[in-house]
Amino acid sequence: MAAVDPFLDQVTALLPALRAFGRSLCGDPARADDLVQDTVLKAWTNRQQFQSGSNLKAWLFTILRNCYYSELRHRKFEIEDPEGICAAQMSVAPEHDAKLHLRDLNRALQELPNDQREALVLVCATGLSYEEAADVCQVAVGTIKSRIARARDRLVEILGDDATEAVAPRSVIDSRPDLDTGSSRRRTVS
Amino acid sequence: MVMSEKIKPDPAAPVEPAEQVPEWLGNRLRRMFNDVMDEPVPDEFKALLKQLEEKERGS
Repeated sequence: MAAVDPFLDQVTALLPALRAFGRSLCGDPARADDLVQDTVLKAWTNRQQFQSGSNLKAWLFTILRNCYYSELRHRKFEIEDPEGICAAQMSVAPEHDAKLHLRDLNRALQELPNDQREALVLVCATGLSYEEAADVCQVAVGTIKSRIARARDRLVEILGDDATEAVAPRSVIDSRPDLDTGSSRRRTVS
Repeated sequence: MVMSEKIKPDPAAPVEPAEQVPEWLGNRLRRMFNDVMDEPVPDEFKALLKQLEEKERGS
């Protein structure tokens, strides 16, 4: 699928990364792809603003992130991964499956506050530098670092610091009332 | 505030992501991301890009 236009060519090449970033933000593949569509359109509309030679990936990620937050503001109420939550509450036969394992991570990420999830994903999954991530999120590098630290702590709580592949899904499905304490880790303040 | 981050004398010193996040978690995050990257791009995107390209050619 070679586009004639070099800008579109580069955007095309970044579609997989955009889809992956979108999905890590909102957890739902269909919503994520809608966000990416909006992103491509906005990028196209504003392509004159993009300085050729500068960081297209970071620019597109910034647009996608803005679309994500804009969509959140317009949603009447936020339901995050309703099927995932409901499925977790039903009794499920334990499966030791790598895909289930990764869905646990997806679900766990959705439990994080938005700012922690995006910081963690940008630096640790998409390969952006701290500086690039700070630009995308429009905060200082130090803020990105502290958000990643909090995200890490929360994910270690949820997922357990167990490095093995076969993690029992109950680690996510079990409710964790012991966590609902005044632990400072659960502050939402950034 | 929980000082769970390793204390660094210079806050501006470059920190590798690996230092902030345990290896098992970094690996899982990257694998999750790469799994989506490996998916074929849905037709809706090809159609959209084709539309935009045609607009560009038409202008």
